[in-house]
Amino acid sequence: CKGCWTALGKGGDGDEGMMGVAGTPILTGPLPQERGGNNSFTHEALTLKYKLDNQFELVFVVGFQKILTLTYVDKLIDDVHKEFRDKYRNEFQQKGALGLLNGTFDFKDDFMRLLRDAEESSKVRAPTVMKTFQQSVKSQKTVKCMIETRGEKPKEKVKNKKNKGSKKDGTEAVAAPSKASAGDKQLSAAGDKEELTKDEILQKKREEFFRRHMKAGEKSRSPKPDAQKEKGKKPRVWDLGNSNAKVLDYSNSATNGSAEACPVEEFDPDMALGDKNREPGRLYDLEYESDDEAEEEKVVQNPSKPSVKKGGLGGMFGMLKGLVGSKSLTREDMDPVLEKMKDHLIAKNVAAEIAVQLCESVAKKLEGKVMGTFTTVTSTVKQALQEALVQILQPQRRVDVLRDVMDAQRHRRPYVVTFCGVNGVGKSTNLAKISFWLIENGFSVLIAACDTFRAGAVEQLRTHTRRLNALHPPESHGGRTMVQLYEKGYGKDAAGIAMEAISYARNQGFDVVLVDTAGRMQDNAPLMTALAKLIAVNAPDLVLFVGEALVGNEAVDQLVKFNKALADHSMAQTPRLIDGIVLTKFDTIDDKVGAAISMTYITSKPIVFVGTGQTYCDLRSLNAKAVVAALMKA
Amino acid sequence: AMAGGLEPHLEALRRELRGPAVLSVLVALIAVAITFLIWRFVQGRRSSRKAVLLLGLCDAGKTLLFARLLSGRYRDTQTSITDSSAAYRLSRDKSTNVTLIDLPGHESLRLQFLERFKAAARAIVFVVDSVAFQREVKDVAEFLYQVLVDSTVLRNAPALLIACNKQDVTMAKSAKLIQQQLEKELNTLRVTRSAAPTSLEGSGTGGPAQLGKKGKDFDFSQLPMKVEFVECSARGSKGEEGEADLEGVEKWLVKVA
Repeated sequence: CKGCWTALGKGGDGDEGMMGVAGTPILTGPLPQERGGNNSFTHEALTLKYKLDNQFELVFVVGFQKILTLTYVDKLIDDVHKEFRDKYRNEFQQKGALGLLNGTFDFKDDFMRLLRDAEESSKVRAPTVMKTFQQSVKSQKTVKCMIETRGEKPKEKVKNKKNKGSKKDGTEAVAAPSKASAGDKQLSAAGDKEELTKDEILQKKREEFFRRHMKAGEKSRSPKPDAQKEKGKKPRVWDLGNSNAKVLDYSNSATNGSAEACPVEEFDPDMALGDKNREPGRLYDLEYESDDEAEEEKVVQNPSKPSVKKGGLGGMFGMLKGLVGSKSLTREDMDPVLEKMKDHLIAKNVAAEIAVQLCESVAKKLEGKVMGTFTTVTSTVKQALQEALVQILQPQRRVDVLRDVMDAQRHRRPYVVTFCGVNGVGKSTNLAKISFWLIENGFSVLIAACDTFRAGAVEQLRTHTRRLNALHPPESHGGRTMVQLYEKGYGKDAAGIAMEAISYARNQGFDVVLVDTAGRMQDNAPLMTALAKLIAVNAPDLVLFVGEALVGNEAVDQLVKFNKALADHSMAQTPRLIDGIVLTKFDTIDDKVGAAISMTYITSKPIVFVGTGQTYCDLRSLNAKAVVAALMKA
Repeated sequence: AMAGGLEPHLEALRRELRGPAVLSVLVALIAVAITFLIWRFVQGRRSSRKAVLLLGLCDAGKTLLFARLLSGRYRDTQTSITDSSAAYRLSRDKSTNVTLIDLPGHESLRLQFLERFKAAARAIVFVVDSVAFQREVKDVAEFLYQVLVDSTVLRNAPALLIACNKQDVTMAKSAKLIQQQLEKELNTLRVTRSAAPTSLEGSGTGGPAQLGKKGKDFDFSQLPMKVEFVECSARGSKGEEGEADLEGVEKWLVKVA
């Protein structure tokens, strides 16, 4: 099968890749957007698996067709990574970017060889064939030993137990009969070597023990005929209760303290000690084997080797080593810090699953990275997390409403903005704030009251319109009414009202149309369908999702379901999804600003406005650095 | 009573100061202070801005430009997700050395990397894709605006070169046209951006800085730094094996270094 690869430095200099196009979706998709938690990614017809080498800043991508399920891909990518890194280690270390540029990376032959090896190794393991009856152990049992009679059973079991050398409770013993023949075989093999005197004592004691247990355990085993048991009602013997200490005393009084009471196992000193040439008492170093399994450990164990050797002082040296010099980060180092950071994020109201994914992504990005001098693991991880958070809050192209309104003005059509969200988040309030802002900038606004359900919705908007007109009377704007309300009362179809409002605005020359919709829960299917229809039919220029900053894990659910509904019910090839987020009630949270992260992470769309109060001036734009600072603050 | 208590102390102090031990301590302190000042001065000189940043949108051709300037050869490139830096030898003058830094253009990453390297920038090369310019003019202008209103950039005023790349393609727009369009777009942008709602608890300076002169249409000559427009082609008109057409860029680099 045709796998393909491109090795490229993270800085973008690639060499002759076989399929350069495979790299781009990863580089523009999950990696910058901090979704690098799991290492595989689907793009059109391909599945792309990637691996990051943070020490030398490399990305390894393997792409293959989605319909194939290749089991050897992970191993292949690991092998390629190791070999490439070792082969070109010098160039990376010494020459940096110039090395990448000027070096020829003739890796094609090596890659083909590794690919062939990987394919073969996945074929070599033939599927395990079921044993035929002849081969199985059961066929070799004689019929005689399969017949279970009461007297004999304990003995066989005892023999089994002896061989196993451990005391287990009754049920385990009951399970033994099926392996009786196996036990027999083992017994005959080992029998000659055992001392029987002590064992006979053991046997007898065990017989007693098991006889007691047989009465209790018999009922759960069906091979016995039931007739034997029913000799009147017997009191139930509990295994461990109502018995005196003697029964419970499993210790063999003869064995404690005496050296040879245990059955003498076969102890071959030579085999146990291994190398005969070792110096007694010396602690040897780890050996550097050259096979692949040990190689990865080599890189990390190198710096930590001295700390291992020095035993008691090891901890201190390890810490010092971490402070000064080049220690590369391992998963174990980062885990405690990441756990703490994850809990911290969740305490700051970031949705739980997003905090987890974020920490995973940061871990992947930092694994194997060499830390600079005097940096601790905590500070490196915090730094990386901070960068990741800032990155998340600055996704894609900023939504510049004024710029786009000017564009629409030039084309003589109104700019349509739709507000959607669940109940009670502040859609109407923020709509009024935004219209105030637009009027201040000289654009005329038409408010479409498409919330035909909630009592008082239309009146609320009418009050706002009146107030805004009082603040900006037509006289001060050259006789133009800056804001007007378009409403058709209650109970009508929202999509229809929106369409009429837009054509009215076009006729009257309004610059912006703000469409207010009713709040709806994301699980309410008919209402979501109605919203999707409104957006699909009217094709607004901007779809804003209004979410409150108080929301916690719900934000994830809301946004996912809203987007899904919009995508499902749209007829177009590229459905209109949520274009931006309005974060409201920001003044009610002190520094628990995690909702901002959750929402932008889910949608990858920017936060366009932030609402910080109930007056017209309480409209802000997002300051990513301030939010991240508040989030990382202890 | 206070003054009385102080007098003997002052006397004791004066007596002490005349002793030789204190003098040597003072001399030592002064020596340390001087060393410190010298060190800071040298540090400042050494870390003075020696970097030339390559900025631009995704797919503008920054990484290829970087490769061509450094090695002269063509390389297949991918979207960068981190910076690459290397020392660039100016051909005539062997002594001066600038560091070329290629920053990623991806929206989520670009501002972060700009933050990191803007203080060290002596010059900025803003690479523009001349072929896709018509389509991307708003995005180009937005990024350029963000670079220009940055307080560090305004203070240091590094020289700015707008390299109109991909001139080897026939549909490429000329530098003149790109300049005119950018000026118009930036003119609009500075109005809309300054009218945007103020950001949360961060607008101590009173919003984004004003670009150019108020009242007049925006012009690149109004900026505190020197701005030049140059046409270039990192790929080169003779295909991958041939030379790149980078004379304008190289000449400018020599001038600026």
